[in-house]
Amino acid sequence: MSMTLYHGEPNGPSLTVLAALFEKGLDAQLVKIDLAGGARHDLAVAHQAEVGMSIEGEGPVLVVNGEGMTDSVFIACYLDDQGTGPVLRPSEPYARWEMMTWCRQIIERCAPAAAFLGTKAHLATALAALPTETFLAVTAKMQSVDLAQRWSDIRTGTFPDDQQADSETKIAQAVDKVEAQLDGRNWLMGDFSIADLETYAWLAAMVDLVPSAFAGKPQTSAWLARVAVRPSVAKALSMAASGDPRNCWAPGPEINRWG
Amino acid sequence: MSDVTLYHWEPNANSGKPMLALMEKGVPFNSHYLDLLNFDQHDPEYLKINPLGTIPAMTHGDRVLTESTAIMEYVDEAFDGPKLMPSDPQDQWRIRWWMKFMDQWLAPSFSMIGWSVFVGPSVRQKDPDLLKARIDRIPMPERRVAWRKAIYGLFSDAEMAESQRRVGVGIQMLEDALSKREWLASDHYSLADVNGFNLAYALPLSQPHLSNDDLTPNILRWLRAIYARPATKACWAMGKTDMVKRVAILEQEYIA
Repeated sequence: MSMTLYHGEPNGPSLTVLAALFEKGLDAQLVKIDLAGGARHDLAVAHQAEVGMSIEGEGPVLVVNGEGMTDSVFIACYLDDQGTGPVLRPSEPYARWEMMTWCRQIIERCAPAAAFLGTKAHLATALAALPTETFLAVTAKMQSVDLAQRWSDIRTGTFPDDQQADSETKIAQAVDKVEAQLDGRNWLMGDFSIADLETYAWLAAMVDLVPSAFAGKPQTSAWLARVAVRPSVAKALSMAASGDPRNCWAPGPEINRWG
Repeated sequence: MSDVTLYHWEPNANSGKPMLALMEKGVPFNSHYLDLLNFDQHDPEYLKINPLGTIPAMTHGDRVLTESTAIMEYVDEAFDGPKLMPSDPQDQWRIRWWMKFMDQWLAPSFSMIGWSVFVGPSVRQKDPDLLKARIDRIPMPERRVAWRKAIYGLFSDAEMAESQRRVGVGIQMLEDALSKREWLASDHYSLADVNGFNLAYALPLSQPHLSNDDLTPNILRWLRAIYARPATKACWAMGKTDMVKRVAILEQEYIA
């Protein structure tokens, strides 16, 4: 079975999937695409609902048997079942529940906040500089109207103060959770897991953007350093084409509409 | 006496997911009904089980589990009985994709409409001071905002229009997926179907202009097939409100 992974710079969801692939020693054709330029919407599988409507936003796409697979944690679960490397999920059902629940909280609360702050700092200016026609040609290809709206909000610099404050709070809460969870451990779930990858992938860039959240959090700082030098992660990070990958952002998941 | 206790409201949305999964697996459990409309889920007694005050929650021995979809995966893995996750990893990926899509994109839109037309009006006539006290003790700020909006009818026109747009898009996506496969996310009855039924069982009643036998024949076929399962019948029989009795519409052979 051959796999092709279309990925962006090694930050956020692309980092999770690249590192999971390397952890498992799997062979896939790696194709870097410009997620921040909307290249995901040009893929042959872009029309598939699971690609076009992925609520992760501009994440990587793994193509297997002609099917485009999205959403980094679930791709990582799939890869975990394929390769020969160390298992990336606990096998005991309660421990597995803990890991999946942890990832769900990162996906639902931390990732939208990180994407808000990351795109504001590192994508808004570039999008604003695009000619209107070029920009509209990109969003016109998108199946998801609300994803296109997020692109548009970033381009117009629509970053409301309440969402800015809420995003900083969510990052601080995520770091608090990491600090409490580590409690002398090397990895979040005890053994290294997808939870480490997904959490690191969204939080690594936040050290610069919300420094106060990391102040006085020695275990989190040590854990971030530990994840960064793990061979799979280091290999993924070394694929960065444009300087520090933590400065590379594409539109991500939306902030919860309920408040 | 089972060592499993489920704290749940009606067989509907999040509460119904682990209820139906447990019943499909044939796992006996102690049912602890919490009346959402009476704010039972924020009682100090329940907050000892789940400090966030969300339902459902499940205890298995001394373990406490929350988050309905993650509970379902646990139920499938921890207990004997028919598997609700097929063995193929790509099927598993698709099932998880659809559950996330429903949990985080589609269900909140259904739920905004449901809270606006059912939950809000059902509790609005209670004593205003009592309602304020009930809202003030909700642990999660997001849930406080949601309850305030539902109770006082504060959902904006734009919010409601966006929810209705998403419901329309979601219905079409379900119909497309079910036109390709017998079940929602794989060729096997799975957790995605358990999840989806909880979201969509009353669709031909709540969104008749978008979902009926003419417009969405595959959704109707799918809903009736799930409703025909003994576990589903037994699960929905546990409902106490008129809301869940809407499931009886699926007994009609043709819904125009």
